Amino acid sequence: MKNSKLIFSFIVSLFSVLALKAQKGENNFNISYNAAFPMGSFKNIVSSNSLRGFNASILHGVSDKLSVGLATGFQDFYQKYPRQLYKLSDGSDLSAVVTYSIQTIPIMAEAKYNFTPGATVQPYAAIGAGANFISYDRLFGEFGDKLGKVGFAARPEAGLYIPFRQGGAGFIIGASYNIQPFKQDDLKNLNNLGVHAGFSIPLRK
Amino acid sequence: MQRKIGLALLAVSTVLAFSSCTKDPLKNMSEEESRIYITNHDSTANFNSYKTYSIVDSVALINNGQFAGREATSWDQQVISAIQTAMNARGFVKVSRTQNPDLGINVSRVYSTSTNFVDLIDYWSYYGGYYDPNYWGYGGYGYYFPPAYGVYQSTEAALSVDILDLKNASSSQTIKGVWNGLIRGEGIFVSSNVQSQIQALFDQSPYLKTNP
Repeated sequence: MKNSKLIFSFIVSLFSVLALKAQKGENNFNISYNAAFPMGSFKNIVSSNSLRGFNASILHGVSDKLSVGLATGFQDFYQKYPRQLYKLSDGSDLSAVVTYSIQTIPIMAEAKYNFTPGATVQPYAAIGAGANFISYDRLFGEFGDKLGKVGFAARPEAGLYIPFRQGGAGFIIGASYNIQPFKQDDLKNLNNLGVHAGFSIPLRK
Repeated sequence: MQRKIGLALLAVSTVLAFSSCTKDPLKNMSEEESRIYITNHDSTANFNSYKTYSIVDSVALINNGQFAGREATSWDQQVISAIQTAMNARGFVKVSRTQNPDLGINVSRVYSTSTNFVDLIDYWSYYGGYYDPNYWGYGGYGYYFPPAYGVYQSTEAALSVDILDLKNASSSQTIKGVWNGLIRGEGIFVSSNVQSQIQALFDQSPYLKTNP
């Protein structure tokens, strides 16, 4: 009973307002390491999770809770299939190891809503939308042509911001769903779930 | 302020260190994985109607579409021998080319050479970073190189095996190709790979057989 009271008190204190210092007018640089997990039809072709990625954004606080700005990121997807026989459209039979190598760089406008500015732990939600710069390579053996395409990207996101100290830099952790349409070969999209952890750094006071 | 910039740089470099390593498909590929085997056949051909075959005793060299001679290196002979073994296993009987074989087999090494250019401007632009002018006793000087390009050639090679219909050549007044096997990739011309490469072509062509 004593323990549960302590835990309850701890949770309340985490979300309690520590200071009335506002974020309005502040610019923040956010950067985090991102792991991506292919979802839906993308997962049918690229099932390997990507541990090679990052997200970054520069946001301006237009109010205590709302900030807007630019967001970007990078993710590298890779999938290699063991040797298989493929029937080509001209009737040929092709035996090959097929490798997919896909890199995405979204550049988006982003809006972020901080539910409890000033608290020890600050839950937030964000949404970004913009262009997605895609580098795509499907190799049969060592043969393939790299292809560059620009598509649409949207990224709803939720997470926690934990400031190291009042008004200073902080730790961010969260998850996002990356909506990335991409029609090429057997692919329809590059949708993936991202889990990120990194830092938020104020650029000026 | 400096502390913030330092913190930002630390954060950026930490994240980049994690994420900069794009997994390069070619660097994560063995020679065996780099190779592709392509077979094509005449879907109207009835391979059971062919009983005998003959095979060339040397390999033709084709360079950029031009005939460049014939060779019979030990590798070439290994290839010819491996094809014979595979054909015999499929029920075909080898005869000499003067004995009216039903099928003729040609073997070619196909080379495609292309000329490429390397832009050296970037290389020379940062020359001072590689070789400090102080080393030569002229600190503060810049380097100058006339604009130029480096030229290099790259060659891609393939092995092609063609099976020809000689049985019906007289009646059709044409020597029709009924099967082709093509191998491209790394390590094709390594002797220890010959047997498995030829076998791969036949393994993916189960229709290529006859009843003796």
